[in-house]
Amino acid sequence: MVVLTPFPHALFALDLSRPGAPVKWRFVPEADGGAEGLACCDTINAGPVIADGKVYFNSLDGHTIALDVATGTMVWNVRTASLDRGETLTGAPLIADGKIFIGNSGDDFGARGWIAALDAQSGHELWRRFSTGPDDNVGIGPGFQPFYAHDHGQNLGAASWPPSGWQHGGGSVSGTILFDPVLHLLFHGTGHPAPWNPDQHDGDNKWTSGLFARDPEDGMAKWFDQIDPHDLFALGSAEPGLAIDRDWHGAARHLLIHPDPDGYVYVLDRANGQVLSAAPFTTVNATRGVDLATGELRRDSNRASRFGTMTRDVCPGWPGATAAHSAPSADGRLLFIPVSRLCMDMEARNVSYIEGTAFVGANVRAKSPADGLRGALVAWDIEAAKPVWTVPEPFPLAGGVLALGGVVFYGTLDGWFKAVDAESGRTLWQFHAASGIIGDPIAYRGPDGRPYVAVLAGLGGSFGMVAKSSIDKRDATAANGLANALQDLPEPSDPSGTLYAFGLP
Amino acid sequence: MTRRLLILAGLLALAACKREQREVRLDPPALDALDQVALMPNGIGGAPPDVLPALGRPYETNAYQLSQGKRLYGWFNCTGCHANGGGNVGPALMEGWWRYGPDVQSIFASIRDGRPHGMPAFKDKLTTEQIWQLAGYVQTIGTYAAKTAAPTRNDEMQSRPSESRGPAGADIAPPSR
Amino acid sequence: MTARPLRLPALAAVLACGGCGTPWQSALHPGGAQAGGLLDLITIFTAVCGIVWLLVMIVTLLTLRRRRAGIEAPLPRDEGTERRPRRAVQAAVATTVVIIAGLTLLSFFVTRGLTADDPQALVVRVRAYQWWWEFTYQDPRPDQAFTVANEIHVPVGRPVRFLLEAPDVIHSFWVPSLAGKQDLIPGRSNEITLVADQPGVYRGQCAQFCGLQHAHMAFLVIAEPPDRFAAWQVAQRQPAPEPATDEASVGRRIFLARQCAACHTIQGTTASGTLGPDLTHVASRRYIAAGLLPTTRGSLAAWTADPQTLKPGNNMPMVPLGSDELSAVSAYLTSLR
Repeated sequence: MVVLTPFPHALFALDLSRPGAPVKWRFVPEADGGAEGLACCDTINAGPVIADGKVYFNSLDGHTIALDVATGTMVWNVRTASLDRGETLTGAPLIADGKIFIGNSGDDFGARGWIAALDAQSGHELWRRFSTGPDDNVGIGPGFQPFYAHDHGQNLGAASWPPSGWQHGGGSVSGTILFDPVLHLLFHGTGHPAPWNPDQHDGDNKWTSGLFARDPEDGMAKWFDQIDPHDLFALGSAEPGLAIDRDWHGAARHLLIHPDPDGYVYVLDRANGQVLSAAPFTTVNATRGVDLATGELRRDSNRASRFGTMTRDVCPGWPGATAAHSAPSADGRLLFIPVSRLCMDMEARNVSYIEGTAFVGANVRAKSPADGLRGALVAWDIEAAKPVWTVPEPFPLAGGVLALGGVVFYGTLDGWFKAVDAESGRTLWQFHAASGIIGDPIAYRGPDGRPYVAVLAGLGGSFGMVAKSSIDKRDATAANGLANALQDLPEPSDPSGTLYAFGLP
Repeated sequence: MTRRLLILAGLLALAACKREQREVRLDPPALDALDQVALMPNGIGGAPPDVLPALGRPYETNAYQLSQGKRLYGWFNCTGCHANGGGNVGPALMEGWWRYGPDVQSIFASIRDGRPHGMPAFKDKLTTEQIWQLAGYVQTIGTYAAKTAAPTRNDEMQSRPSESRGPAGADIAPPSR
Repeated sequence: MTARPLRLPALAAVLACGGCGTPWQSALHPGGAQAGGLLDLITIFTAVCGIVWLLVMIVTLLTLRRRRAGIEAPLPRDEGTERRPRRAVQAAVATTVVIIAGLTLLSFFVTRGLTADDPQALVVRVRAYQWWWEFTYQDPRPDQAFTVANEIHVPVGRPVRFLLEAPDVIHSFWVPSLAGKQDLIPGRSNEITLVADQPGVYRGQCAQFCGLQHAHMAFLVIAEPPDRFAAWQVAQRQPAPEPATDEASVGRRIFLARQCAACHTIQGTTASGTLGPDLTHVASRRYIAAGLLPTTRGSLAAWTADPQTLKPGNNMPMVPLGSDELSAVSAYLTSLR
């Protein structure tokens, strides 16, 4: 098992065939400490990936590294992101088709988002496509066929922004990248436009806060769906969701199930980008639904954030109604969504782009809902577009969900690792870890043939940052306003992360 | 006659009342001298420039300078990483725990030269005077002792007790790590 | 003739010529319909109130003259003599009510025209900072919008709608020759619409005390025929011209490397600060520093070298530049037409 620690990274390989899983080898890359000042949401990483005898990972300071998984020797180390432009790497690479696909982070630092493909053997860059800018930068060509009319046009990645606004436009590709071998397409989301102050990014801000389908050979876009044009609350749509093939109202379709931070579960036909359904999975007051005919998000103008004034009680609040990975049930009927029920007050202010500093322009204060239940695990019936059961949680769910054999595993910010029944939501088992859990549980079959579930406990990330010793919770806007709503987040009992592995019966 | 004398005495007494002096322009030699901070080799702590006490240490005691510092704090994106003193990407500034020293010249050096782990250098973005104004204001946010001068309350969202209600150190716990 | 008698006629001549040439900042010389309406209001109010005042003074003087010594006080009550003063008072009260109601209605109808909604209107977003003005011309296509500072051009005959916002303190938008005052209040959006009837240069200024340099916060509204205005719009949308001389090149390098780029924007370069005025076409404007100095290379250099002496307390810091650097930067700024 290979484990990656937060920045400055260390990669551990644990030998599962020996009792106690001792460390087989350890790799510590050189780290540029300046990257810590560019990590909007703590120095976390989505983890390493293993394929073809090699382990690949991204480091926060902009390197993509390949190691030999047996010995831990470095095969190649390529600098793919530039700290000077505010770019960092926090996502996990995707290995598919002999290529490594990576995307950057840095929306909050005015970095332009991009997705790149490297050769898996050598690390050479094959192509790079941006989320803003002229069509040739973005990969819009004759093969681009968006489903909705408002995504058609020339150089929309520059024309739907104020003059030169796209150059610091955001749209990072910090979430998962999906590869569909059936349709031979890549799917990924793009993050929110920069800065947060919507006044400084007039226009629809293509191609941020949306979902792309791209050709993995050259990165050219096949379709794009903008979930949130002119994103007012910096929610973005970086996490694409899950590609599931199943029946939809009688016909077999290739679907992309996308639970969005704006509070809706979008079901799209991933062959052409049509939105088949969009229904809210939590309380939403900033918008009033999606018009399926045009793909437009209907806004409530009372909740729009405006320059120089305070907009109160916007739901969902930053970082969005869901900020972690959902999981499907084995039959593809249900989607288990980790939810944050926080709302926020937001005040938009003028901000100047200054290299190396946060390009935000908003004072934010997160707020708990009236019943004090700041999180939930929602079991969502995909076709019926409604929740089947909900497990309320005192804290927002920051960690991912694993659904396995009728059981759903997830971890909470106050350190509980829980297993609930997939049909009813009844708690079957729980374990109190040494620290809050923000990672995804994984399941594997050990060398002894037994099934195991493992999870890395260690408080951090957007929500967990509040408990860091360097944050003072007396300021309501600390940690992007989350300090106001998470005053009671327990400090981790052990500072460093702990890996837990549980054997299943 | 007595009444006239009393009125005269009253006027004389009032003549001593002086509003706070606002120095909007420092002479260029003073500005150059303010840049000469003698730092320890590790960059933590050092001696303030000699001209600072000669000017009356305005960046810590003059309300106008503190208010300018407060304006610059919002203008130059300090809130993006440090929030309103509570911290975010960067550490909190209001808890009275100063990683590089609590004195104003250390804070000045931090802002002017940057620090490892991501604090950018503002030497080419702010003038020396502006960095001093900022340093004085930042020190006010996390000061241990009460000050006689304070900037105005926030025009923006009020997220913590105003600077005039310092010191921040009233109930700090020592840092755990 | 001796010198003494000449003084009085000379004085009279000067006073008479004081009105010569149309002043550019005068509510008494309207250049547009809104200011015209307001001037009518001023005239009617002054006339009506003047007449009322005159009548009241006449009546007061008459009553004072009629008072004779030796009349016992209080006067004996006599219905016959009482009736006339009573009628007079009733008539005066009724007239006052009618006059005030009439003036109120008149005022209402005239000032209603100040915020009339016209779909043909050119929309300009105004942000008033301490102590300068930022104007952003809106466009349905966001990349065709552009920002200028302290000087705007408007087409003659077309309504211009100003959306007024203030990020710091209360200011007030006042172009006397074109319209009345409208405050810019933090946290609130106000609007004012005006139309210029003839080409000309109209000066406006901030009309609400906003701090140390409130008195030096002027702006120019230049009304032009529609084709000249369209040409100006096109020119303003262009990025900054490339420097033509070596000195200007050096100036641009200094501008981008030093503190200037952190506060100012020059489209077409990496300078993208939004804290100070947009300088993309600064040399095309007639004044700098919000009407303080006419735009010349010398005044640009003086302003860059020592803004605090020229406009004490304003938010532009004194950037330390050597004399060669200053010369280069002023050459670059002068080239930004």
